[in-house]
Amino acid sequence: MRAFLAGAQIQLRFLRAYPDAAIPFFTAPMFSVIFQMVFRHAGREDLTPYAAIAPVFIALWWLALFNSGWTITMERWNGTIEMLVAAPSSFAAVVFGRITTTTLLGVVSFFETWLVARAIFGTKITIYHPWAFYATVFVTLFAMAGTAVAMASLFVLARNAVTFSNSASYPFYVLGGILVPVSFLPHWIRPVSAVVFLSWSADLMRAALQAAPMHEFWFRLAMVAMLGAAGLLVGLYAMRVILTRVRGTGELGTT
Amino acid sequence: MSALVSNARVSWYAIVSGANDYWAIFTLKSWVFGWCVRMLSQVSFFALIGKLLESDKQTQFFLVGNAVMIAAMGATFAMNMTTSERGNGTLSLLLASPSRPVLVFASRGVYVMADGVFSALLGLFILGPAFGLHFPFPRILLVIPLTALVGMSAYCFSTFLAGVIIRKREVTGLLVNATIVILMTLCGINVPVSFYPGWLAWISRCLPITNGLEAIRDVIDGAPAATIAAHVGAELLVMSGWLALALVTFGAFIRAGQRDGSLEYAA
Amino acid sequence: MPAVDVQEIRRIFTPRKREPVVALDGVSLAIPAGEVHGLLGPNGAGKTTLVKILSTVLLPSGGRAFVGGHDAATETEAVRPLIGIVFGGERGLYTRLSARQNLEYWGALYRLSGAQIKQRSAELLERVGLTERADQRVEEFSRGMKQRLHLARGLMGDARVLFLDEPTTGMDPLAAREFRALINQLKGEGRTILLTTHDMVEAETVCDRVTLIDRGRILATETPRSLGSLISRFQRIDVEDAPREVLEAIRAIDGVSSVTTLEDGTVRIEVHEEGATTLVLKELVDVGVTAVKTSLPSLEEVYVQVIGDRGLTV
Repeated sequence: MRAFLAGAQIQLRFLRAYPDAAIPFFTAPMFSVIFQMVFRHAGREDLTPYAAIAPVFIALWWLALFNSGWTITMERWNGTIEMLVAAPSSFAAVVFGRITTTTLLGVVSFFETWLVARAIFGTKITIYHPWAFYATVFVTLFAMAGTAVAMASLFVLARNAVTFSNSASYPFYVLGGILVPVSFLPHWIRPVSAVVFLSWSADLMRAALQAAPMHEFWFRLAMVAMLGAAGLLVGLYAMRVILTRVRGTGELGTT
Repeated sequence: MSALVSNARVSWYAIVSGANDYWAIFTLKSWVFGWCVRMLSQVSFFALIGKLLESDKQTQFFLVGNAVMIAAMGATFAMNMTTSERGNGTLSLLLASPSRPVLVFASRGVYVMADGVFSALLGLFILGPAFGLHFPFPRILLVIPLTALVGMSAYCFSTFLAGVIIRKREVTGLLVNATIVILMTLCGINVPVSFYPGWLAWISRCLPITNGLEAIRDVIDGAPAATIAAHVGAELLVMSGWLALALVTFGAFIRAGQRDGSLEYAA
Repeated sequence: MPAVDVQEIRRIFTPRKREPVVALDGVSLAIPAGEVHGLLGPNGAGKTTLVKILSTVLLPSGGRAFVGGHDAATETEAVRPLIGIVFGGERGLYTRLSARQNLEYWGALYRLSGAQIKQRSAELLERVGLTERADQRVEEFSRGMKQRLHLARGLMGDARVLFLDEPTTGMDPLAAREFRALINQLKGEGRTILLTTHDMVEAETVCDRVTLIDRGRILATETPRSLGSLISRFQRIDVEDAPREVLEAIRAIDGVSSVTTLEDGTVRIEVHEEGATTLVLKELVDVGVTAVKTSLPSLEEVYVQVIGDRGLTV
């Protein structure tokens, strides 16, 4: 537990020390502006829930990909990964602490997005199904964290992580239907979307912001949870592989 | 004359070294499956809004705007090369050499910018048909030099910004992303310039991309040559303005950095 | 029970697409508690590899290594709280954080309570002389300061056994001397220290015993002085005011390698065989030369003789 908190604390300190960590908190409100403008210009105020959700997912995904995803890799490049292994505390617990902190901070992007929409465009966002909404947010954050753990571990093991991580944003925004629902994608892509938890999550959140009754809520929520858990398991397994490599082949100690 | 030649030589070597650095990071495979996929996804992400709005006209609007944005993104990424210079510790060596720093900086990122322009055109010509759009041929070929113009214009802007942050390297990532998203917001990429309130439209026209993008849209929509020329002229003016600003201020920023020692951290 | 007990440790690395490398080839070593033990050898000798194995960061390919009686490979939970690692170099610190923040983080990872963390980090900063810079970012520190912070970091867990891997590399002589004084203090507290180095002066001044290691094998383990006597046949005799004929006679003795005149007029006679010293001294005493000084070679000279003239090739 102490290791978890130590991880959380240092992550907060990193946030202040590394300006790059603030990127998603700047881009989220800007995307909010862009999407609001688009729907207003098109005379489709009914689509403002879409505009309200998408920037949050963009921010959360960015946090998972870059702030979290690079956690272990940065330790490696910094020369501290071996010291982490040699410390009595659990390596996994420290990493969790850091990733969870980062993910929870993503909640800030909600407020930013909605504040901007309200302040600049006078958009009012009504949560028609509050319990469903909050439940979805909660499970989504969990799924984000789980996916982030997978990313953090896999980035260390994959040789081309650098270049691929840079490109793993928009493809997932499209597949995840975070702005334009998956139903607008060509048929052949939809099965892929089904395994990206973002698609289930985005659909649920949009539905919670609209007056119409929600369908199959528990099933859809379960899908988000399941996919997130799958990410977590993959991440844990990959972390074990990393530790084996650090101790066994000595391969990860240096760059 | 010999100053011109030696400056040109410096530029050429800087361009080549920038290109080499770039290809040290990317292999063909990662360029295609990494960068290209991302780029096409980005343009599609916005083009799909047109489908949501059930309007082909909108789809085209978003697609063209965001494809051109890719060129500007490439130009903006070039800022990263500036700060990697400082990071590698090569900045001190550069400053000690007889060449003008702005020349080297400006040239090192050219390759990234060219890559952005190429990607933008790729996106346009692949996704256009994919989204069921028909571009008028051969008029559409005009888009090629126009996109290059937008790229260069954004590049001058980006060079100026690189000078601004040369003393505070850790802010680069933030500035690059902020610049990209602000340009996406303000340059008539996803909504026409006419949508902005008057004062914002004015700011928009002083930024790179805006006028050039309008010229590109004009070409596709079949607007008269005079209109196109006017927009091209405006973009050239904007580009020259940012270039001049970059040339004037870069040296000043470097000198300031030499005075307060902020150029030294190779960390 | 020795604090550190290494038994026939082997470690082989198999890098991709290259021949396997034997980093350690049956190394055995026992360090009693409270000893400062030097591991001396050129780059690539296997020093860092051994330290990594002992600090549970690397698994051996064969043999066993015990710290505080626990197996470093299999009883990591028992070993890790006992040890502190101090690596040399620029890496291993969070450069954008302050010195204090770095220490507090590791304190937490070494399972200290909140109060302990605050107290101990303040104490250690004081001890290594970084109190004034405690809240400055590490990236602004000089090499010597970073090294001192490394040491403080290694002590956050109040380790009984410390592994210092080339800790004074790149330090200026004054900083290095202060660092060594710190090490002596730590020794006075009863901690066991394994120090790797390729700096002879360091090994000579700080260590109780020194192990020479090269190419993954131990060549010798002795006190710094007796290492010298290992090859005491390489003695040297410095003489003043010796008549030339005597020097000629000495030159002809079997076992004398050289007779050279130094700048200040002293003559240095180098000997490379047992018993030759006695013959030389006899010659000198017989003609009444009494300004004679014998000395054993320094550790550096032993090093060079034993490891040979490898120069810059690793």
